[in-house]
Amino acid sequence: MSRSQPTETDADVTAETERESFTGQGLPRVEDHRILTGRAEYIHDITPENCLHMALVRSMHAHADVVEIDTSEAEAHPECELVLTGEDLRAEYNPMPTGIETVTTDDGTEGTIEEWSLAADTVRFVGEPVAAVIATNRYVAEDIADLVDVTYDPKDAVADGLAAREDEVVVHESVGTNVVDHERLEFGDPEAAFEEADHVVEGEFSWGRISGVPLETAGVVAQYDDDTDSFDIDCNIQLHTLVDDTIYETLGYDADDVRVNVPADVGGSYGTKIAIHRYCCLAAMASKALDRPVKFEEDRIENLQGGDMHCSDREYRMRLAVDDDGTMCGLDVWFVDDFGAFPRYPINQVLKPLSVLTNSYVIEDAVYEYDLVLTNKTSQTAYRGFGVDPHIYALEMIVDQAARELGMDPTEFRRQNLIEPDQQPYTLPSKNLYDSGDYPATLDRIEEIIEDERDGGLLDPEVVAAKREEGKYRGVQPSVIIEPGVSGSDWTDRQRSDREALADRPRDDVDELPEHLRAQLREDGTVRAYLATDSSGQGHQTLVSQLLADELELLPSDIEVDYLDSVDAPTEYGSAASRMAVMLSGATVGVAEALIEALEAVAADHWEVSTDEVAYRDGQVERADGSDTLSLTELAAIDAEGEKRRTHVSYNYDHPATDFEEFDDAFSQKLPVYPTAAFGANAPIVEVDVNTGEVDILKFYTVRDCGTMLNPMIVEGQAHGGIAQGVGAALLEEFGYEENGQPQAITLFDYLLPSIENVPEIEMEHTVTPSPFTVTGAKGVGEGGMIDAPASIATSINAALEPLEVDAPADQIPVSPAHLRSKLREERQ
Amino acid sequence: MSTDSTGSDDGPVTEEITITVNGTDVTAAVEPRLKLSDFLRYECDQHGVRVGCEHGVCGACTVQQDGRTVKSCLSYAVQADGAEIETVEGLAAEDGSLHPIQEAFHETHALQCGFCTSGFVMAAKELLEENPDPSREEIETGLADNICRCTGYQNIYEAVERAAERMEE
Ligand code: FES
Ligand code: FES
Repeated sequence: MSRSQPTETDADVTAETERESFTGQGLPRVEDHRILTGRAEYIHDITPENCLHMALVRSMHAHADVVEIDTSEAEAHPECELVLTGEDLRAEYNPMPTGIETVTTDDGTEGTIEEWSLAADTVRFVGEPVAAVIATNRYVAEDIADLVDVTYDPKDAVADGLAAREDEVVVHESVGTNVVDHERLEFGDPEAAFEEADHVVEGEFSWGRISGVPLETAGVVAQYDDDTDSFDIDCNIQLHTLVDDTIYETLGYDADDVRVNVPADVGGSYGTKIAIHRYCCLAAMASKALDRPVKFEEDRIENLQGGDMHCSDREYRMRLAVDDDGTMCGLDVWFVDDFGAFPRYPINQVLKPLSVLTNSYVIEDAVYEYDLVLTNKTSQTAYRGFGVDPHIYALEMIVDQAARELGMDPTEFRRQNLIEPDQQPYTLPSKNLYDSGDYPATLDRIEEIIEDERDGGLLDPEVVAAKREEGKYRGVQPSVIIEPGVSGSDWTDRQRSDREALADRPRDDVDELPEHLRAQLREDGTVRAYLATDSSGQGHQTLVSQLLADELELLPSDIEVDYLDSVDAPTEYGSAASRMAVMLSGATVGVAEALIEALEAVAADHWEVSTDEVAYRDGQVERADGSDTLSLTELAAIDAEGEKRRTHVSYNYDHPATDFEEFDDAFSQKLPVYPTAAFGANAPIVEVDVNTGEVDILKFYTVRDCGTMLNPMIVEGQAHGGIAQGVGAALLEEFGYEENGQPQAITLFDYLLPSIENVPEIEMEHTVTPSPFTVTGAKGVGEGGMIDAPASIATSINAALEPLEVDAPADQIPVSPAHLRSKLREERQ
Repeated sequence: MSTDSTGSDDGPVTEEITITVNGTDVTAAVEPRLKLSDFLRYECDQHGVRVGCEHGVCGACTVQQDGRTVKSCLSYAVQADGAEIETVEGLAAEDGSLHPIQEAFHETHALQCGFCTSGFVMAAKELLEENPDPSREEIETGLADNICRCTGYQNIYEAVERAAERMEE
């Protein structure tokens, strides 16, 4: 089992809360104590005895042939233990699995894309590792890395997604094109919708490259065991039980021989750390070569320039068909997603937006078409929202533009097209279902809130007019935005499936990954639960202890929660896609039932009566006739005498869509299935300084609904954090590139993260519409703010600048001051 | 420190320093290039000192040196020779009870992944020592050198305000 830190008894939970329900309370987290006292053990804190340290030699060219790698001087350094190059890997290991291995071009020729942990013949982005150096400490390893002499023959590079489609520079000669995937999905009859509508509104919008940029960089400690020919890898990878295949397949070992363990404390991930397998593999290979533990700590510059951690980078062309009366009739989405140098594992983030294709609007006919292109930039990975955030942004932009072209109030236009509560559960044209919610009421509520600001507040007409005199334009534009939750896993390999065959694929062929949870009664009468998923600050341990306490009628302090490693845990979907509130709570209810059943069976056998004659209550099993009771401690002792521990139970909670026929179409056609739809309306009041182009968010109002709130404190925390990341995305963050592929943001001086000075005061209200599809009524909340805040900030900027009649001022994310200044200047000329 | 130079004559040059870390004197021979953050983390086992950027932007490595906060990734251990350093490990009382700032962070959910937390707690400590009753603007200025990627800051304001009340009592 994992050697990570279990929760500890927490003094906060006192007897006064006894017998009340803990679920639904903002219970402070059990994780906090160890963190606050400096005792949490993050991956950077793990340094086994005898450990060596790895540093990487990285390409400074965006595209070049590697002519020669001279390692002699490095190897001559007295403290050098090993230098690994791409050649060494090819002799012994495999390439890393990529999202698309074989590309079939229009003329039918097939080519393959291989990505190795170290490049050998060609480098394809700045920061791509070409050699690994292992030495006694990190300082020395970096010294020695400088001694590795790589001769490059630089080639032309392409760093723009749209330009890459021309194939003038091809990133992978082996496939001969940069467009490695393309699909056009049609739902309903979009052609007719566009033909018959009174207007067709068109717009172009772009979403720059951003990412999660967790404060903790990637880290790995790998140890090879010679006796068993197997590996132990501690690392802060996300989804360690799902993406461990990227590690063991690269190493060429069986899953059981590569034990991947994630510490209980991970310093943020937001999706991005699922792509750090390169480091895991390299440290493992070095450890095998040297028969000593090898540690790698990524530094911030590596993380930003070549850490395989960038996210979506899209150019959209959107079309909306609308009638004179303001009815939305058709949607046409076309975009290019620039994937960087390799099509990685989370390639499916181009498809996830299908789960919220039309956001909160009724639009029955739609096209969704994309080109997935490669360029000489760092490869993309997942990020909070998983590709939904750019989609919602582009959609809200075209909706804004349509309202303007129709001369309608943009809020009225939105309201008129919202899905009504009596249409729920609502089936989207793309076959996913929304579970529940009253979207018009949410829009009304946020409107009421900002109405108050119009009367003597931030939006008081007199104040707004006076500010305009100073060149400061205020505005706000709310909308209702959906957060799809709880991914069904089967759609995620759609791109690798024979698409023709999907039309009539039997529903029975679909696999769904459930959430696994274990619970064990311990000798002292406490219960220990084991999560199969990793966690990076979401409070999973707290959530499980609080729910399990309710189910077992114990106190949260009677429950400890620990983690399983990748070998002990079944292959799991885990912590992603806003899944955990729903999946962990469902699993907790199930595992508690299993444990109660086991306790009753043990007691019944002990008393030699049938299980009907015993009942579990309040931490003990009672005989129905009231003659005797057995405490948990006693039951543990009795159970320990048996051959098999019956009080060690596990439970798999099925994906909530599994039993709903309504999801069958989506499942069998491998379209994204997200059975919960948390939603909310935002109203960020923004002020744009038309002289500097700077945007100040004066206040961020939001009304949100995530169904049952299991722990309101955690729910709000997730929303705050998501909104803050959304603010960064909307206004500050971007991985810019020069035309030749040189990255422009390689330190935190250039990649601007929002500080306390950038994030506005957030005023949040909640409504609760439980999900009819989930056991606890919870919907996911992990990605919300990041999905909705950029769109809302952008529409509010448009609203603020409305009087200047600038054409779609926020047509680009981030809406940087320079971009806004140039838009405003264009208009004035 | 043992920058084990494998016996070679031209091994790394080291300098002997003594730093008082959370009340205990630590004497070590260190390379002049050893960052104070690494000295604290690896030579003194104060893992609560986190490094997020190693170039002075994120504030995760914030500690107090002679009563003033410094970003320990921006200075070298040799520069702190003779100094008194306090890290987050030095805050809780002997009996394990949390410092009011730690307590307030816990109660207001001002931490998620917690990687930034030691830095924020130390920055808040200096702020409250200088200004026991800060306004929101003063908190903003006091914490502007630290980045938190998880919490969105709102709860951090609340934590500092709550800690200020507690410390007044
Ligand atoms: S690690 Fe020192 S400021 Fe970021
Ligand atoms: S709590 Fe994660 S960075 Fe602050």
